[in-house]
Amino acid sequence: MIDAFMIVAYVMVIAVAIGAIAALLQKDLLRAAFLSGAESVALAFIFQALLAPDLGLTQAIVGTVLLPAIIIIGIFKTRRHEEE
Amino acid sequence: MNEPITNLWSIPLLIVIPILTAILVNLLYNKANAIKTIAISSSITLLAIALISPFGFQWFTGQPGVIPGGGYTFSADIFAWRLSLEYYYGSLQQILIVIMSLLLAFVVFISTRVLKKNFGTYIGLLFLLYTSAAIIIMVNDFYHLWIGVEFGSLLVAGVVAASGESISQKAALKYTFFSALSGAGMAISLALILGLTGYSNISDAIRFMSNNQLGGMSGVLYVAFGFLILSWIYAGGLAPTHPLKSDVYGAAYPHATILLQTQSKLMLVAMGLIILRLFSGLPFAKEVMLAISVITMMLGVVMALLQTDFRWTLAYLIISHSGLVTVGISLGTVAGIIGGLFQAVNDIIYMSILLLCCEAVLYFGSGTSIRSISGIAKSSPWLTGAVIVGALAASGIPPLNGFQSELILIQAALGQGLPEIAVIILMVSVTTFIALFKSIYSIFLRPADQTIIVGKPSADATTTGLSPVPKVLFLALAVLIGIAIILGVYPNLALNFLNETAMKVVYVPWVP
Amino acid sequence: MIEITLQLLSFIAAAILVIVGLTGMLFLDNLIKKIISFTLLSDGVNLALVSLGYVEGGIASILTPGSSVVDFPYNAILIFGPGIVLTNIVIGVSTTAILVALTIVLYKRYGTLKASKVLKGERK
Repeated sequence: MIDAFMIVAYVMVIAVAIGAIAALLQKDLLRAAFLSGAESVALAFIFQALLAPDLGLTQAIVGTVLLPAIIIIGIFKTRRHEEE
Repeated sequence: MNEPITNLWSIPLLIVIPILTAILVNLLYNKANAIKTIAISSSITLLAIALISPFGFQWFTGQPGVIPGGGYTFSADIFAWRLSLEYYYGSLQQILIVIMSLLLAFVVFISTRVLKKNFGTYIGLLFLLYTSAAIIIMVNDFYHLWIGVEFGSLLVAGVVAASGESISQKAALKYTFFSALSGAGMAISLALILGLTGYSNISDAIRFMSNNQLGGMSGVLYVAFGFLILSWIYAGGLAPTHPLKSDVYGAAYPHATILLQTQSKLMLVAMGLIILRLFSGLPFAKEVMLAISVITMMLGVVMALLQTDFRWTLAYLIISHSGLVTVGISLGTVAGIIGGLFQAVNDIIYMSILLLCCEAVLYFGSGTSIRSISGIAKSSPWLTGAVIVGALAASGIPPLNGFQSELILIQAALGQGLPEIAVIILMVSVTTFIALFKSIYSIFLRPADQTIIVGKPSADATTTGLSPVPKVLFLALAVLIGIAIILGVYPNLALNFLNETAMKVVYVPWVP
Repeated sequence: MIEITLQLLSFIAAAILVIVGLTGMLFLDNLIKKIISFTLLSDGVNLALVSLGYVEGGIASILTPGSSVVDFPYNAILIFGPGIVLTNIVIGVSTTAILVALTIVLYKRYGTLKASKVLKGERK
């Protein structure tokens, strides 16, 4: 018996895994930073489901805005594409 | 119970004052006189608080873990409520924090004299480093332990990067990357212990383990032990990760290295005692710790022999002597623990003497390599005297403090039936002597070489430059040498402080 | 057949994140990629810690005006995990900021983001 709640949980776990792996496979570092932000959104949903709504909110703000912003500042100050 | 339990007034002050000072000097940024006044007065205040404070607890939830009179507030009904975040200020904490406050005052004074600009942020970092070490040594719960270690390793990176050379930035980057691994491991280890016992207070967890016969039975404990040992190794700079820490010691300014090495000695002592209290029931726990310590001692001292730069010789000697501290702690007997703690105290003092001399050598403007500078003895005989006293103390020559603690360590090793370790400790002290005198002879005693022009700017001189040795450095050297001689002649002055802690760790491990 | 619960699922997600993050930190050569891997690793550890304290059918451990104070300790999830994670998120941000700052400084010095070139040992 699989209810709707578990289906959402499955989707979020798969989103986390795909986001993490895809972020590290990109040659474009900017795209990698955005993908790690997408992974954080899915993680925030899992925190919410695990009965930690305060962490969900924090993760949503920090993981999708603050961390990618810091990394993007780093990318703009250095270089956008990975060297061969 | 007999008396009301109250929170101790001095513990919050010891943590809040340095944080406030750090924020304030950071905001002032470049107003040199204001920063000097605030930083020096607050470090002297900290010294005074640490000296006059009585012993006691601080509870953040108002509920004690272990009542000082001997009782215990175990109750199944309130366990889910109890966070029991707890600090303890006792005799071990007092002696270590007093020494650290003294060093902080000197280091802050010296850095205001030496750095030309932007020293507000730097002094703020030094104060926060002090805070992290104070948290670690007073802590009695997993939550603050973890925060202290994480926060401390970030600050180490900050202080090292502040010296501005490429090698120090690299050292900081590597150290921070590894802090991610060790911090993750430590969080998992603490979560496993919490899952087994249900308590975030260390006293509670130990009490639960001994009541429920968990020790040695559960495989989960081994995993937790392994991860905790990993973060201990990382925080203290022990054997497999020692290149990270020796880079840190060598690449920072020598005066900052004084506080860095003090912080890692305090981490070694505090985390080592916590591991011993938690896991002394596990078979092989002490043996693993002992093996790590012995490898650290030998590797550090061999690497120190190979160096040709006074800074890097000292960096590897600090690593090697942290091994001496942990050998004592991991022997697990009362004599061993007293020896290890006393070695930590002495180590902080004599390494600070040597590092201050190294800082003074930098002001001559030719770096600290044994090839680039020579003949300092002629121009400053007092400095030469100080560095020789420091070297004798480090190699355990009788009237000085290093001798007393190494004697206790050797006796403890022999008492445990481990004469090999006694031999290794002797070898380490002899090799320390050789490694130090190689540098000291070349830099201080060898007559000035005509081919080397003293005053020629080298790679290091871009940051420090040619400047006179400040008077406060000589004052610091005099005070520290005085302490070294007093502790060498009357070791009981320090041993009285350490005795009680060692007895508690061995016989009643759940009492902080 | 193991019943797949939310806790098990989140453990799997945490394991994937930790493995991916660790692999990236150890084997990728680009410094920015290493930093992204570090954030993934700390996310994984956070998820593991939160799911350790999860109670099936429990309540969030936040006291609201309507909730019963007596039952609360027995129903709420274990607070230690979320407590440590809240700090871990903040520490993760500051660590990332320090790493990015050092990376920018080292890039200006060496002109490359390759860890194998930037972090090469150089000793007098």
